[in-house]
Amino acid sequence: MKVALSVRGLTKSYGNVTVLNDVSIDFYAGHLHALLGANGAGKSTLCKIISGLVSASAGQMSLGGGDYQPGSKQDAEASGVQIVQQELNLIETLSVAENLRLASLPNRWGVLRMSELHRSAREILDRFGLPDVDTHTIVGSLGVGKQQMVEIAAALARDARVLILDEPTAALSGSESEELFTHLTRMREQGVAIIYISHRLEEVQQLSDEVSVLRDGQLVTTEPIANINREKMVAWMSSEEEADDDSSQPAASFVSHRRDEVGLSVQGISCGMVNNVSFDVRRGERLGIAGLVGSGRTELLRAIFGADVADSGHVLLAGGEAVRFTHPSQAVEAGFAMVTEDRKQNGLLLTQPIRANTSLAALATKFSAKGWIRQTAEAESASAIHASLETRCQSLEQLVGTLSGGNQQKVAVAKWLTRGAEVYLFDEPSRGIDVAARGKLYELFEELAKQGKTIVIVSSDLEELFETCDAIAVMSAGRMVTKYERNDFSEDAILEASFAGQESQLTTALSDDKWQNEEAKP
Amino acid sequence: MNRLQGFLKQLAPHLGLVAVLLVLVAIFSTLSNNFFQMSTVISIANQVPDLTFLVVGMTLVLIIGGIDLSVGSLLAVSSAVLGVLMVNYEWSIWAALPIAVLVASIGGGVNGAISIGFGIPSFIVTLGMLEIARGATKVVTDSKAIYIGSRIEWFGQPLPGAFVSPAFMFAIATVVLGQLFLTRTVWGRYCIAIGTNAEAVRMSGIRSAPLCIAIFAISGMMCGLAGLAQTSRLSTADPNAAIGIELAAIAACVIGGTSLMGGRGNVIRSFIGVLIIQVLQTGLAQVGVSDASKQIITGVVIVVAVLIDALRTRWSRS
Amino acid sequence: MLTAIITGPGPQRDLTLSGQVSKSLNNESLPMVQSACRSKTTTIQRVVCVAAVLALMVTGCTSSNSTSQSKDEGNEKPRVALIMKSLANEFFSTMAKGAEAHQAEHSDQYELVVNGIKDERDVSRQVALVEEMVASGVDAIVIAPADSKVLVPALRRAINAGVVVVNIDNRLDADVLQQENIAVPFVGPDNLAGAKAVGDYLAANRKGDKVAILEGIRTSFNAQQRLKGFEAAMKEANMEIVSSQSADWEMSRANTVASSMLSEHPEISAILAANDSMALGAIAAVKSAGRAGEVQIVGFDNITAIRQAIEEGKVLATADQHGDQLAVFGIEAALEQLGDSSDSVASIEDVETPVDLITSETLSNE
Repeated sequence: MKVALSVRGLTKSYGNVTVLNDVSIDFYAGHLHALLGANGAGKSTLCKIISGLVSASAGQMSLGGGDYQPGSKQDAEASGVQIVQQELNLIETLSVAENLRLASLPNRWGVLRMSELHRSAREILDRFGLPDVDTHTIVGSLGVGKQQMVEIAAALARDARVLILDEPTAALSGSESEELFTHLTRMREQGVAIIYISHRLEEVQQLSDEVSVLRDGQLVTTEPIANINREKMVAWMSSEEEADDDSSQPAASFVSHRRDEVGLSVQGISCGMVNNVSFDVRRGERLGIAGLVGSGRTELLRAIFGADVADSGHVLLAGGEAVRFTHPSQAVEAGFAMVTEDRKQNGLLLTQPIRANTSLAALATKFSAKGWIRQTAEAESASAIHASLETRCQSLEQLVGTLSGGNQQKVAVAKWLTRGAEVYLFDEPSRGIDVAARGKLYELFEELAKQGKTIVIVSSDLEELFETCDAIAVMSAGRMVTKYERNDFSEDAILEASFAGQESQLTTALSDDKWQNEEAKP
Repeated sequence: MNRLQGFLKQLAPHLGLVAVLLVLVAIFSTLSNNFFQMSTVISIANQVPDLTFLVVGMTLVLIIGGIDLSVGSLLAVSSAVLGVLMVNYEWSIWAALPIAVLVASIGGGVNGAISIGFGIPSFIVTLGMLEIARGATKVVTDSKAIYIGSRIEWFGQPLPGAFVSPAFMFAIATVVLGQLFLTRTVWGRYCIAIGTNAEAVRMSGIRSAPLCIAIFAISGMMCGLAGLAQTSRLSTADPNAAIGIELAAIAACVIGGTSLMGGRGNVIRSFIGVLIIQVLQTGLAQVGVSDASKQIITGVVIVVAVLIDALRTRWSRS
Repeated sequence: MLTAIITGPGPQRDLTLSGQVSKSLNNESLPMVQSACRSKTTTIQRVVCVAAVLALMVTGCTSSNSTSQSKDEGNEKPRVALIMKSLANEFFSTMAKGAEAHQAEHSDQYELVVNGIKDERDVSRQVALVEEMVASGVDAIVIAPADSKVLVPALRRAINAGVVVVNIDNRLDADVLQQENIAVPFVGPDNLAGAKAVGDYLAANRKGDKVAILEGIRTSFNAQQRLKGFEAAMKEANMEIVSSQSADWEMSRANTVASSMLSEHPEISAILAANDSMALGAIAAVKSAGRAGEVQIVGFDNITAIRQAIEEGKVLATADQHGDQLAVFGIEAALEQLGDSSDSVASIEDVETPVDLITSETLSNE
C-alpha cells in the first residue's frame, strides 16, 4: 500500500484552547479513509490544516513522500489536495458554468469565451452525472442539495491526489448520494486518497477502507473497516459516560404522545412549486416529512410559517381560526416556531454572542421591561437552557460563528425554546450534527411531544424519521403523495413514494421552455 | 479584585482608541506651548456638539446596515428653519426649535420609508435627500445667511463658571442615551441583530421595517439637534452650513469601530472618534502647519486609528 | 483615592496610579468625582467617571500653568494669527506667502500662525479657527472672513477676550457689527471702485451693449461690492445687463453658468466675472460655445493664470488689489494697534489699500 498523505503530530491551538492535539495518521492512495468524531472533536480542523485553510501550530505533513506545507488553499489545490467543505463555497450570483471554471475561466485576452466555458462545464457535469443541471443556471436559484453536487463536481474536476469531503451527503437525497458513491469508487480505483467526514455510520461502513476516530482533539484509534462495527464506532466517539447512555438507541424506546386535538391543520397550501398540500398534525404528534431534495418540503414549511406568502390555501389554528401568514411575526404570535435548514443564512446571528441569539425571539415578550432589556433574566434563562441542552461553549458570550455545527444548531433550537411555541417546524434539524447532539435533539422532540406540542420534522435522513416520528408524510414534486403510520414504516415504500410525483412533474414541466430543452437532449 | 478585573476587561476593547487620542494630545502638547491648557479644552468642547449629535444618529444607521449621506443637508435645513422662524417671524427659540427638529426628523423618516419600504439602498436615497434638503435650505433662506444673535448664542457658549456649553452637555447626554438605547433596550438589540443578519431576524418573527424607519428618523432628529448646536455656535443660520460633514461623521464612526456592513458599533466609541478628529483639527490649527499637510495628516490619522484598532483586536483574539 | 473609584470598596488600595493622579488633580474639583463615583457603579457610570477623571486630569494640571504661560508670552514677541479663506485658491495662498515672507523679514517683531479652510463655504470651520486661535492665546487675529455675517459673533468673543482683530479682504457686515456692538478695522481695497474701473475699461473698449455678470457668493460683502461696481459702470455707459448669476467664486460653476447664459442670451457681447477663477471658467464656456473672440471677458484679482489670458487677448482686463500685500497691510495694522497702549476707539480706523487696473497695455509696460 502506498501512502499518499501522512500527517505527524499535528497540533492546533487558539490561545490556550487546543482543538487538535498531536494527531498522526497515514492516508493511503486508492483508499477511502473515514474520519469520525463528535462535534468539536477536531475533524474539521484537521481537514482545514491539510487543505491549507489554517496552519498547524505544530507537526509535519508529507505528500507523496515529499514535504508538504500548504500556505493557502490555492497552494494545496496546486499540489492536488482538494476539499469540499460543509459550507458551500459557490458564488450564488454567478452561473453554474462560471462557478465550475472560476479558478481558470477560459478567455482570450481577458474576454470570456462563453461557448468554451459552457462546453467544458457541460462536460464536467455530464462526467459527474448531473445531466439535468443547465450550465447557464444561476447557482443561487438551485436548491442546496443541487448546489452541493455542483461543488463536489467542481472539486472532482480538478486534478486530485487527495480529496477531502466534509459531510458531503448531509444535503443530498438518497439517489444523489448513490451517484456520489459511484464517483468515489471510481476515483478510488484511480488511486486518489479520499478523506471522508460523515455522521452517517452506515455510509461509513459501506464505503470506507479505514476509519479514524477523533475525540476532544485527540486521535482515539485508526482501524481497518473489517475490525469495526457500528457499536464500536459509537463507543469510541462518545466519552465513556455517553457510551453507557442509551440515547443513541431511542428507537427501541419510542413512545407516542399523540393526543386527540388537532394542533395544526394545513389546508390546500400552494406556494411556488408547493402544490395544494393539506395535512393535519395532532397535539403531541411528531410528523415527519420525507422526500427528495427539491420536492418542496422547505418551501412548504416556509409557506406555513409566512416566510413566503402562500398563493392560496390557509392554516387552521388550534382555535379553529383560518389564517394565511404574510410575515413570520404573525406566525410567531400565533405560537409557531421554525428552525431553519440553513442556520447560517437565516437562523443565526453568527457574529453575535450565544446569549443574544438565544433571547432574540423572546426579547420583547419575556425580557423586556418597558423596552429595557432585563439583562439578568436574559442571562439566567440562556444559561439554564444551554445547560439543559448541553451546549459546549466557553461562555455564553462566545460568538455563535465560532461554535461547531451541532452547538450552533442547539443555539438555534434554544432560541425557540426560550420563546416557547405550540407548533414547532424543524427543517433538517440534524444536518451536520454528531451522534451525541442528535440524541439530545431526539430527546427534546420527545419532551416537546410529551408537553403536547405539535411537531413537524423535515428530514432527508429516513433513519432519523423512523426513530423520532409518529407518522411520516412523503412529498414528491411539490405534492404530498402519501402518509404512513408508525407500524407501516418501510424504507422501500417511502422511497417509492418519493419518486411517485416525478412522472407527473414531467408532464407539467413540458409547458416550461427550459425543461423542454433539457428533455429534447438524449 | 474580581470587580477590578471585570472593569478592566470591559475597558480593554476601548484602550486602543483612547490611546490614539492620548497620543495625539501628547504630540500636540509637545509641538505647541499653547495646546495643553484649559482654554483649548473649552474650545474643543465647544466645537464637538454638532458632529457628536450627527454621529449618534449615524452610528445607529450604520449598525442597521444603512448609511445616511443627508446629515449635512438636514442639519442645514433645521438651522434654516430655526433662523427664519426666529428672525423673520420673531418666534422664541422654544417655539422654533421643535419645528426645526421636526422638519429634520421628517427628512430622516422619508429617507427610511423610501429606503426600507421600497428596498432601495439607503446610499442612493440619502444621496437624493442630500441634494433635496440643501436645495430646500436655499429656498427657505433665500440663499442668505440669517443672523440671529444672542437669542441663540447662549446655547453654544460656555455657561459662566461651568466651562462647557449647554450644547455640549446636551450632546454628552445624547451619547449616553444613545449608548443605553443600543445596549440596554430591546430595540437597540434588534438594531444590532438586523445589521448582523436581517433574514434571521425576520425568521425569528420580528418586524424590522418600522424600527429601521424610526432609526432613520432618529438620525434626522439628531441632524435637527446638530443644527441647533451649529446655529448657536455661529449665532447665524448659514445656508452653506455643514457641507461635506457626512464624511466626517462616517469617519468618526469608523474610527470608533463601527462596521460599514452593519451589526457592529458603539456610540461612545464613535464619540471618541469625534474627539480624535476634533483634537487633530484644533491641534493642527494651533501648530499652524500648512493646509496641504493638514489634509495629509488627517487622512493618515484616520487610517492609522482604524488600523491600530484592527490590529489590537486581532492581537487580543490570538 | 482613585483606587477606590476603580475597585469599589475592595481591599486593593496600593495602586501606583493613585499617587500620581491625585497630585495632578486640582484640589477643589475632587469631591465632585468622589461623590459621582462612590455609588454602586454600572458600566455607564464607570465610563462617565473615567471621562470625568480624564477631563479633570487635563484641566487640573493645566489651569495652574496656563496663566504663567500666557504671561510669559505677553512679555515676548506678540503672536499673530492669520485666518484665511481657502488656501487652495491662489489669491489667498499668495496672500499667505506674502505674510510669511514679511514675518521672515521681521521675525524679531512677531510670530505668525497661518490657517485656512478647505473651501469658501466652510464657514463653520472658520468660526472654529477663531475660537481655537483665541484658545491658544494669540494676541491678534487678522482675518479674511468667508462670510460677512457669520464670523461677527465669534470675533466679538475674541475682542472681549482681549485679542486685537483686523478684518482684511472681505468686509464684515456693518449692521451685524452694530448689533454686536463692536468695531473692527477693515484693511483692504475698495472693491466697488476696483470693479467700477474694470467695468469702465470694458465700456470704453466694448464690442456690444449686452453683458452678463458672474457674481461671487452673494452673502459675501466683496461679491456685493464688485457687483455694485460693475452695475454702476454699466449704467453709466448705457449698457444692458441681461443676466446676472452667482457662480460661487468657482471656475467649474462659472463654466456651467456662463455656458447656460450664452445659450440663453446669444446676444451677450461681454461677461464680467467677479473674480479671475470665474473669468477662466467663462473663457472655456465662450470657446465651447464657438464664440471665442466675440465675447469679451473681464475678471478681478490678477492671479497668475489670468495674466497669460490677458496677454493672449482672451481676457480684456482685471483688477490687481495687491493680494500678496493685503495680509501684510492687515498684520501691520494689527501690530500698530498692539503697540498702541491707549486702546481707544479712535485708533480703530479702516485702511484703504490700492487697486490697479491690469490690461494688456499695463502688462507690456512691466
